[in-house]
Amino acid sequence: MTDVSASTGNTPNLVQRIRRDYSPLVIGMVGLFLLVFVAGAAFTDDFLTWFNVKTIIRDAALVGIMAIGLTFVTLSGNFFLLSMKEIAALSIICFATLMSADWNQWGPVDADPTTWSLFMTFLVAFVATMIIATIAGALQGALIGLGGNPIVVTLGAAGLFFGIGSWWSDNLVISYRRPHGAEWLGTGSFIGDIPNITVAFVIIAVVAELVLRYTTFGRQVYLVGANRAAGRATGHENFGMAIKCCIIASVCAAFVAVAFSGQVSSAHVNYFSSEFGSSGDMTIMVIAIVMVGGNSIMGGYGSTLRTSLGAIFISSIDNMMVLNGFNSGARVLAVGLMIVFSIIVFALVRRGSRAVE
Amino acid sequence: MERLKNWVTENPDLSFAILLSVSVYTFFAITEPLFFTHRTGFAIMERFAVLGLVGLALTLCIIAGEIDLSIGSNAALAAVVTVRFTDDWGAINSLLFALAISTSIGAIQGYFIAYLRIRAIVLTVGTLMLLRGVALFAAEEKTVMLTDFRIPDFISTKMLGYFSPASLLVIIMFVVVGLFMAFTRYGREIYAIGGARKEALASGISLQRPMIIVFAISGFCAGLGGVIIGLRSGTAQALGLQYLLLAGTVAAFIGGVSILGGKGGVVGAAIGTLTVNFLNTGLVFNVTPSFMVQLYLGILLLVVIMFQTGSRVFEERQRRGQLLDDVDRRRSILSDKIAGLRRPSG
Repeated sequence: MTDVSASTGNTPNLVQRIRRDYSPLVIGMVGLFLLVFVAGAAFTDDFLTWFNVKTIIRDAALVGIMAIGLTFVTLSGNFFLLSMKEIAALSIICFATLMSADWNQWGPVDADPTTWSLFMTFLVAFVATMIIATIAGALQGALIGLGGNPIVVTLGAAGLFFGIGSWWSDNLVISYRRPHGAEWLGTGSFIGDIPNITVAFVIIAVVAELVLRYTTFGRQVYLVGANRAAGRATGHENFGMAIKCCIIASVCAAFVAVAFSGQVSSAHVNYFSSEFGSSGDMTIMVIAIVMVGGNSIMGGYGSTLRTSLGAIFISSIDNMMVLNGFNSGARVLAVGLMIVFSIIVFALVRRGSRAVE
Repeated sequence: MERLKNWVTENPDLSFAILLSVSVYTFFAITEPLFFTHRTGFAIMERFAVLGLVGLALTLCIIAGEIDLSIGSNAALAAVVTVRFTDDWGAINSLLFALAISTSIGAIQGYFIAYLRIRAIVLTVGTLMLLRGVALFAAEEKTVMLTDFRIPDFISTKMLGYFSPASLLVIIMFVVVGLFMAFTRYGREIYAIGGARKEALASGISLQRPMIIVFAISGFCAGLGGVIIGLRSGTAQALGLQYLLLAGTVAAFIGGVSILGGKGGVVGAAIGTLTVNFLNTGLVFNVTPSFMVQLYLGILLLVVIMFQTGSRVFEERQRRGQLLDDVDRRRSILSDKIAGLRRPSG
């Protein structure tokens, strides 16, 4: 197609560019997908209302933030962390334990707590949770960076974190009283009727995208992911990169845990497992979002913008199916089909253009 | 004695696994009076029936240089299908149907992995979710149950002291797969694509056949494990059995597989599984909650991985050091020669 533009002397228009860059198979499959989506949107009642759009984005926010964190790991070529939900479980236990701890009540216990004391309680719990998550991420990142297989390392770490979380909480539900300092994050809204968690999702998505595009760190992530040998030759070892990326992913998971705990004022290790939620466990959901968004799982190609859009896409398909009265089985099946579909499309696009590892 | 010494030096991983397993068993046999009894032996073999299958499946996958994450979902699907159709079709028919489904799922996965040339973890994390959805669909989001409890009774009948029909079947499975891996060309092909994939492909081994065989066996094992669990307990849940992946991976790694592939074997898988079972059963005697078992398994896996990675890094560093030494020595020999050549003239 380049010769067409060269002979006419114009830059190629959008249709030409798409036909040049993608194979007909991919265009057909993505087109089919869009068709199903548009048809579903048109024939589902109450789908295209402002209230429903808000619901979709709010549903996408929690998994979306986690997926944005995981995208850094995936982009740096370390596949994915199978311990996302366990990190979140450990964090939610830590947060709720500290929120309900006796010594962590800044101010009179019997009287109405002031805003200041609530905020201080929240701050202590939040900072401690983030520290725990950072340690968890750094531990995994160090093992991965030394050359351990990311899947096996995080599988073991998942068992470890889940065990620690259950042991800490005695496998019980920890609850704390309202009003508490995390309400503004969980259920509050500062801007009109838009929930704060949605705002946080948007802010995190924008910041992550800016970091990836315009900072040295972002470019290093792409470099290490796309070509590990070139990265090493230019002094960018995977060791430091794996630690940094795993810390980012863990901190995002911990943030989600804090926000979720703020919503329900309690914590239990199983809050992110498939036994609790209806639509599969959180780890696989997050990986699904990263894949469906169109990030290359081998690293070096993709962006957090794609991940955010993937989160909104999966959330809206889920929402559409709920509105049409599907059960959780059909919804999990749909998400599974979407992952496998995106894997196959991606492999077909990349086949031949990339050396087999 | 000399032969034993030779054997140990030839199989360091396997002898380490045997040592670990024996010491875990001895530890619990000494600390728990009830552990060293016939009944506990039977209970351990009963656990071995399921976990051994998963350990075997993961061992084969890791030997081929891949890992099958969908094993828990596959087992859950097989369990749901068997339990659901047993009342209508009879146990044998529904069992065969479930095994056919899980084996063909495995084979299809293997085909796609070879055809698309992607890593197995990428595809199997997708099928993990997909099969979970299928299982939920098949179970209609309920816990399916048997109405006729003669089958669970039959499966855990005690025979030959320590065995039940289930564990005997699994031992036969181990023997068959072990012979297959050791003495057939297909088995050696699996080792070849795991240990040295590029070389194997260059020497004309197709990627597809070993992949399909490995993942079909893995699917079959997962299915059989699911069937045994489902029929033994009489119930099946679509979202259950996800713990199998961690336990099976620990078993495979204790058994001496390397994450790089091409190493390990069926005997190792059996010993690794037995070690995990001793640990599990012994901890149950101590009234340890199940999450603590998970914690110990996680730590065990991390330690094994750390050990393996550390030894690999160490070896690499040593090899690099040796190479540098070699280069230095050659350079010094060369400079000596040059000096020797120059001296007479100068």
